[in-house]
Amino acid sequence: MSIGAHVLLIGASIIMLYPLLWLLSASLKPQEQIFTSGIWPTIDWSIDSYFRGWNGLRTSFSVFFMNSFVIAVLSVVGNLIACSMAAYAFARLRFKGRNFWFAMMLGTLMLPSQVTLIPQYVLFRDLGWINTILPLVVPKFLAVDAFFIFLMVQFFRGIPRELDEAAMMDGCSPWRIFYKIMLPLSMPVLVTVSIFTFIWTWDDFFAPLIYLNRMQDYTVMLGLRTFVDSTGESDYGGLFAMSVLSIVPIFLFFLFFQRLLIEGIATTGMKR
Amino acid sequence: MAVNAAEAAVPDAASGNSIWSRAWQNHAPGYLFLLPWFIGFFGLTVGPIITSFYLSFTDFDLLTPAEWVGVDNYVRMFTNDRSFAASMRVTFFFVIFSVPLKLAFALGVAVLLNRGMKGLPLYRALFYLPSLLGASVAIAILWRQIFARDGLVNDVLSIFGIVGPSWISNPNYSLWTLIILSIWQFGSPMIIFLAGLRQIPQDMYEAASLDGAGKWRQFVKITLPLLTPVVFFNAIIQTIEAFKSFTPAFIISGGTGAPINSTLFYTLYLYNEAFSFFRMGYASALAWFLLLLIACFTAFSFLTSKYWVHYDD
Repeated sequence: MSIGAHVLLIGASIIMLYPLLWLLSASLKPQEQIFTSGIWPTIDWSIDSYFRGWNGLRTSFSVFFMNSFVIAVLSVVGNLIACSMAAYAFARLRFKGRNFWFAMMLGTLMLPSQVTLIPQYVLFRDLGWINTILPLVVPKFLAVDAFFIFLMVQFFRGIPRELDEAAMMDGCSPWRIFYKIMLPLSMPVLVTVSIFTFIWTWDDFFAPLIYLNRMQDYTVMLGLRTFVDSTGESDYGGLFAMSVLSIVPIFLFFLFFQRLLIEGIATTGMKR
Repeated sequence: MAVNAAEAAVPDAASGNSIWSRAWQNHAPGYLFLLPWFIGFFGLTVGPIITSFYLSFTDFDLLTPAEWVGVDNYVRMFTNDRSFAASMRVTFFFVIFSVPLKLAFALGVAVLLNRGMKGLPLYRALFYLPSLLGASVAIAILWRQIFARDGLVNDVLSIFGIVGPSWISNPNYSLWTLIILSIWQFGSPMIIFLAGLRQIPQDMYEAASLDGAGKWRQFVKITLPLLTPVVFFNAIIQTIEAFKSFTPAFIISGGTGAPINSTLFYTLYLYNEAFSFFRMGYASALAWFLLLLIACFTAFSFLTSKYWVHYDD
């Protein structure tokens, strides 16, 4: 029985991962072999596609990677600051209306972003923020990702209350308690939030598509899409090579933090 | 400004006398910590929701001021817009097939993995990876290629002597390729199922098996009922995600929902109305209808949940 289960799971893993391996292998094939060598990897490796793809557009992918990186890092910083502050207030501070605002915050979890999309676009346009990274980054500093607030609230509630109550007795201000006690004890959830923010911002296609219209501002995902439209039909090798590179940062996070990522997903599902 | 206020909030014997300063001491820190969230909540959520509702009753092209047209947008949606009807069909078809299949796979694999076998962390990680890469443009590009006429799927089929169609550009199959992509990403509900399975007390199975209940009976009588809260949670999250699905359809269809609207997801249609044709008023009405759909779906799920979701406490 157990052997049968293993065989089943190994088979399933191969089917699951084969598309990704195929992508990697296609990016390493000489251009003329990509569609002639069938489903098996070839031995005749070549990294030409990577060089061709990197400079395959008017703007090089180094610019796109830089843009994506800046946006993702600023988003992480924004989410860490703003979401942890809000979560601390909801989890630990007593003030009038706390339950009401907490319910409001949870309510935004369900709201489809399409509803706020157009007025937000108009707002950012009126502020002159189109073709800058501000519409992508500033909202993160305003704690728009309710999901992360919720995650942090759950974590903060697990920290023994005696710690901050004792500090409060000693005359510690909420700010001090927040950054001297809560934050240092919350590294696991802070890292989880950082990783997910980075990955989701890196992957995001919709917001950059709307707000960034000049090629020098493009993120990697917009660059890839442009590649499909302009040269993709002739240079599949380059397209696959850049696709592989675009998922490398996510893959690295996965490699180093998979345990944490998986626990992060599992705990959010377990709220009752 | 925030810094001054924060200092004022520091407990201080001298200022603790009057009611006002006491109230300030008690409530101000909470509101100050929430300040960024408040700005975001009112400026980027509540304000836009109200504006969007107003815009949905107007003609608005971004350049000239919005012009009030009453319920025209909504009337047009239901009486005179075949693309809207098509996008509703596509989206519902996608939700109805992708969500249950994805959850079934997720649950099946989770049950297999939950037997405390060797290599569990490795399998769990391998199955989760596609979910994590999720909405990436690279994955959509990969998918487009896998299901192309000269792509991987047809290469595999040709081993068995089958000549496959061009899946992506055939309207009979194109939506199914997106459903398969969605099922392929069953990893994150699987992990949530796994966490739920671990909560089920082992001795229940032991008792059942002493009573002579087989594996399947144990699954139906113990595992499923005790897992219903997790099934419910996963079903809601995945359905809402499915309603909002955008990137794969955009990349695979070249942004148009081609061929002949067979992959015109609701969000794709909304995007095109807003940002290709600049019919912002109409797009706002579409967004509000989406909100209504999701709200109805969620309310319906919660109302019916009491008949099939069992909480043990």
